Amino acid sequence: MTTTQLDLLQGTLDVLVLRALSWGPMHGYAVARFIHQGSDGTFTVIDGALYTSLHRMEERGWLESEWGLSEKGKRAKFYRLTMPGRRALRTETTSWNDYVAAVARVLTATPELAT
Amino acid sequence: MNYPEQAPRWRRYLRMIRPNVLADVDDELRFHFESRIEELVASGKTPRDAREIAVAEFGDVQEVQRGLVSIDRRVAARRGRVESLRDLGSDVRYAIRSLGHSKSVALAILATLGLGVGANAAMFTLLETIYVRPPAGVAAPSEIRRVWRTVRFREGSQYWPGYSYVQFSAVTNALGDRATTATYAPPGKAKLGTGESTAQVQLSDASTGYFSLLGVRAALGRLYSADEDRLDNPAPVAVLSYSYWERAYGGKASALGSTIVVAAQKYTVVGVAQKGFTGIDLDAADIWVPLGSRARGRRGALSWWKSNSVNGFGILVRPAPGVDIRELEQRTTTALRRPEAAYGSSDSTTVARFGSIIAANGPGESSQEQRIAIRLAGVAMIVLLIACANVVNLLLARAVRRRREIAVRLALGISRSRLLRLLLVESALLSLAAATVALAIAYGGGVVLRKLLLPDVHWARSPIDGNVVLVCLGVAAASGLVAGLIPALQAAGPELTDALKTGSGGGVVRTSRLRITMVIAQAALSVVLLVGATLFVRSLANVRQVDIGFDAHRILTTSVGYDGPSASRDSTIPQRIAVLAQEIRALPGVDAAALASMEPMAGLSFVDFVVDEASTAPAHWDPVVTGISPNYFAATGLHIVRGRGLAPVNGRAPAEVVVNETMAKGQWPNSEAIGRCMRFSDPTAPCYRVVGVVEDSRVGQVLEAPQPQYYLPLGNIPDSAASFLRGYYVVARIDSQHVADITSATRALVHRDFPGGVPDISQLSQHIEPQYRPWKLGASLFTVFGVLALVVALIGIYSTVSYGVNQRLHEFGIRIALGAQLRDVLSLVIGEGMRTLAVGAFCGVLLSLAAGRFVASLLFGISPGDPITIAAVVATLLAVGAFAAFVPARRAARVDPVSALRAD
Repeated sequence: MTTTQLDLLQGTLDVLVLRALSWGPMHGYAVARFIHQGSDGTFTVIDGALYTSLHRMEERGWLESEWGLSEKGKRAKFYRLTMPGRRALRTETTSWNDYVAAVARVLTATPELAT
Repeated sequence: MNYPEQAPRWRRYLRMIRPNVLADVDDELRFHFESRIEELVASGKTPRDAREIAVAEFGDVQEVQRGLVSIDRRVAARRGRVESLRDLGSDVRYAIRSLGHSKSVALAILATLGLGVGANAAMFTLLETIYVRPPAGVAAPSEIRRVWRTVRFREGSQYWPGYSYVQFSAVTNALGDRATTATYAPPGKAKLGTGESTAQVQLSDASTGYFSLLGVRAALGRLYSADEDRLDNPAPVAVLSYSYWERAYGGKASALGSTIVVAAQKYTVVGVAQKGFTGIDLDAADIWVPLGSRARGRRGALSWWKSNSVNGFGILVRPAPGVDIRELEQRTTTALRRPEAAYGSSDSTTVARFGSIIAANGPGESSQEQRIAIRLAGVAMIVLLIACANVVNLLLARAVRRRREIAVRLALGISRSRLLRLLLVESALLSLAAATVALAIAYGGGVVLRKLLLPDVHWARSPIDGNVVLVCLGVAAASGLVAGLIPALQAAGPELTDALKTGSGGGVVRTSRLRITMVIAQAALSVVLLVGATLFVRSLANVRQVDIGFDAHRILTTSVGYDGPSASRDSTIPQRIAVLAQEIRALPGVDAAALASMEPMAGLSFVDFVVDEASTAPAHWDPVVTGISPNYFAATGLHIVRGRGLAPVNGRAPAEVVVNETMAKGQWPNSEAIGRCMRFSDPTAPCYRVVGVVEDSRVGQVLEAPQPQYYLPLGNIPDSAASFLRGYYVVARIDSQHVADITSATRALVHRDFPGGVPDISQLSQHIEPQYRPWKLGASLFTVFGVLALVVALIGIYSTVSYGVNQRLHEFGIRIALGAQLRDVLSLVIGEGMRTLAVGAFCGVLLSLAAGRFVASLLFGISPGDPITIAAVVATLLAVGAFAAFVPARRAARVDPVSALRAD
């Protein structure tokens, strides 16, 4: 494995999970694969943290879960966004974009800094 | 993208099962690992490597798992709360629907439970008012003490709350600054207004200190001041109770300064006491006047506050902080034992005790009504038990009928706890409805009970309040839940397949055993109540048969009263009454009319006398004297046993006396009374010779030991008694058929002969009727409850037998098909019912014998274990029970074997 490992902040992981679920209900493993594929392998998510994030957001009321059958016919726990979850995704995405833009500005404004 | 397009359908039934958090987390993670490993294997890894990679990607599996479980537990708990509320709503709807299907059962439960709870609520409210609730409007009532002391009565020593003012002063001095004291006369009925007014108010004499000790203020105007409260000349001022002010004056301030005539005296209203305060006795006071107001204007050698014969005052004490009650009691005892504080002869053995401000909690004897009230509370509880047994039976029958439904629900995945809750919701609903019924019964019953038990008490409060509502709700909920829980537990635990297979057949044996136990309990408790009822009814009959000496229905007494105190001592009155007697004698339906110094059974007079012989009379020998005209014995129907009556002469009568049998025996035990001398006030006074012995009669109470009595001629009263042994009363022997006519004719005569006079005419039977009241009360209330219990128990027997018959139609069909006769089936079914009843009756007899000692003191002329009573009750129960079993038994016997066999 040669991909860069990034330690994701908790809030960042939440946004990614919410984003994944905005496409429709999915089980935890599908969320993990969505994030993995979406990042093109730039970073990997520790799966344990992902599940913690799912359960925590369910507790917060952003997600709902229910048991259903996976694409392979196995019993799996599916998560889906609730209305509060959608609202959270919107605000978190905006602030993440602001953050990225700010970081990018800083990075481009100081060319003399060595990397 | 490989996730499903659509979520699988919501599986609602899964939520019925209580979420298992641990298993869920485990399943979720297992799915994750399986999927990941599968994918890695598909991409060419060995299963072993794949597993290692998956675990490495995941991080600390156990740690994460623990975290997830704790999060999910919180989620599940919150969801559980929300869902249980939502479920409760649907449970309630379901319960209402299902109760609607069996209306008769629901109504029977409502009635039984409502009655049981209502009776209890009414009884306990009454007891609470008598024994627990401190008087309203009093500051720190628990600190205030009533002073009691032992007094020797003929029947023995008893705690007594009444004192003379002399004794009050002695106690006040003895306590000094260790306590505040106050005295008052408990409220009594007093005539309101003038003339033949029949309006009455509750009048209480109270010192200024009474209000300040109790911490009572005026709501309007003022309380009377210390100088208005002077013993020798109390000001004619009155304070009204707030509720009387509202009732009589409409709560108008103009009441202040108005004049009110009470007990033939005028008072000016100066104030209204604070709201809620109606004195400190059960009997509410309407009007307070200064101490001694009623003695105002009375002539007498001794001022009332120095006399020991004015002695109805209660003493209240509020001890100073930190003072030992025992020490105060000791000081009070010492003070009361001093000669100057005692009646005539000093009572060196009296003992003072301080009791609660709630009089019924004091050391004094409780009245027969109060004792009946306590027993009735026990009876009410028995009724509630019977009601509960009945409700259990009814719910059980319902639950059994619903076995199949319940089994189906369980098979469909409803959890047992949910099912239990469903059934409990039903009984809770029933309880709630029953509580409403109970409240109505408690209100009505409370009013009736107060009237019956304590009719002389002038109640200040409504019989129902917030506490009663709570009691009703609490008792109904408790009994409803207990009664609902038993069948619910039974129903929730059937063996599923069993119940599904055999329908109503499964588990019958166990259930019907419980039902039979309930019937036995009901029968036993009914026996107890019926035995109680019979004992009271027979006591009443026995008391009625007590010979009081008089024929109470045939004696009509007439006297004349005046509004002013001075007029009543008019010296011409006895003469004018004598004329009135002759006029009454002349009325149709009157056989005789005599004069007497007092009404039969309504007063006691004593005169000091000596006899020539050495006195051998027993201790407390106080013969009661009556001044009479010679025809008194003819008028009252008292028989002369030996000798003769008083000589019928006009003018001055010879110095003769007639004694009753008890007096003859007690005063001259060893010789004939006739011919002996009685000398009044001193041994040298002239001799009143005993000329006859008359039969005993009661002096006051229907039930009293025979009292020594003697009769002096009104035509020759010794000087020492002349002031009060005068002919104030006309005692007429009448035809009791014509009481009304004679009464109105007599009233007309009084109005003609005594302008301004107020006639007081009463039949002796009316006067003594209240004395039978406790027995009538016990008899009627116990009978009501007893019959109620019997009816409820019979419904139980009927429904149990009937239910059993329905269960066994199949069996009866076979029996009949095999040749059983009508009689065989009847005796089989009735026999089973009767066996149950017999067991119940037997237990009931044992219970009655055990409970007997609680009522023994309230019975008259019959013992609580009276075999005839018990036998009669058992026979009644069995006879009526046989009838109740007969109806369903006949149905069993008429089963058509073909249809019964085909049905299953």
